[in-house]
Amino acid sequence: MKKDLVDLLLQLAYLEGSISTRGLYEKIVGKRVIQHVASVDVKRKTLARLQQALNQRVDNAEVPLTIGMFLQQIRTKHAVAASELVSRLGISANHYKMLENDRLSPVKLPSTVWKRFARLFNLPLQELSEMIRRTHILVFFRPSFHLTLARYDARKNRSMKKAALQRATEQLYTRANLSLPTKEEEKLQALIDELKT
Amino acid sequence: MRQQPNREIVETLRRGDPQGCARLMELFFDRLVNEALNVFHIQVEEAEELASDVLLTVVQKIDRFQFKRSDKDFHVWVITIFRNRVRDYLRQKALTTGLVESYQESALEEEGAYGRTEREVVLAILRRHEESLRAEEPDDPPPTNQNERRLQDIVDVLDQLEAWERVLLRCRALDIPYEEISHYTGKSVKQLKVYHARVKKKFMNLLALRYPELNHEERSR
Repeated sequence: MKKDLVDLLLQLAYLEGSISTRGLYEKIVGKRVIQHVASVDVKRKTLARLQQALNQRVDNAEVPLTIGMFLQQIRTKHAVAASELVSRLGISANHYKMLENDRLSPVKLPSTVWKRFARLFNLPLQELSEMIRRTHILVFFRPSFHLTLARYDARKNRSMKKAALQRATEQLYTRANLSLPTKEEEKLQALIDELKT
Repeated sequence: MRQQPNREIVETLRRGDPQGCARLMELFFDRLVNEALNVFHIQVEEAEELASDVLLTVVQKIDRFQFKRSDKDFHVWVITIFRNRVRDYLRQKALTTGLVESYQESALEEEGAYGRTEREVVLAILRRHEESLRAEEPDDPPPTNQNERRLQDIVDVLDQLEAWERVLLRCRALDIPYEEISHYTGKSVKQLKVYHARVKKKFMNLLALRYPELNHEERSR
């Protein structure tokens, strides 16, 4: 098929997001008549590749590190509405939202909430305590790495890299098992001890 | 007959059922290869590899996808991934062999509808696009607003056209049938076919006006 200069330029602008067809292109793709059918061999190889990726995905299903990640995973996998979890956990919608975004330390909520949490999701105490610990560490240290990110962000047009960096840093902080100041460690330990009673 | 084929695919993939991959292939593989071949003029082997990569991304990121409005959301999501892959492919091409070179081989040499100035204008825009991509390498991902800015001339010239002319050019560039465009513009298919070449010429003339130095060269020759 012959290429056209104007079409090439407009395609480039479309792919780079400068112009749009307001969903018309996406709609048309589904209606087009297929002219070229890929060979069976190519399809077999692609299918094998997809199945391998699918198996890996199942094997490496991400273990939630924090309370927020756990709640997000529950909502995505089981299609549960946030409002339902709010009522079942007996906390306010605002607290729930902050928990799901790992913006609220678990020590700010009473141990009764966490006992309910463990029962609701059938979580072993050890696993819940670890998630609580990692979430508390993340919430406690977040302001310090946000300060670093803010300095980084002061350089213009770094928003995409900043988002990736933020995700990586959050993972790092939650996995690093950093030692908390004594006061924070005591608060955390008190909650975990209460959960055991 | 399946009422919500896409929901079924998403659910089977999330369960880790290999049937989901087979259905995904059946529904999308040939379609994506055809788009890459016929609309974006990518070679067969590369088009097949690209389609395969798109479906791989779908499988890997299936947990992030959410239906918001209807069953068609999944189709739109797959096409968006495809579009991003084609964009990355072209960016890679710009950084390695060069967009100008690859287009010159297969497109610009054959093109008889445009004059020398118009071709030079296109080459100038493509070169500028390549340069801005190179300038962003190696470790900074291109920020969206900068991408928009470097193709701003195209957007500005489109804005100078009438609304139906803009729709016609944008849609035909992506091989959207005249019949569909007719619904949106209120013009008949016949009119659109007749005017398409004229509108393209008008677009190129307006674009060329933005590059007076290239026009001057043409005149001096």
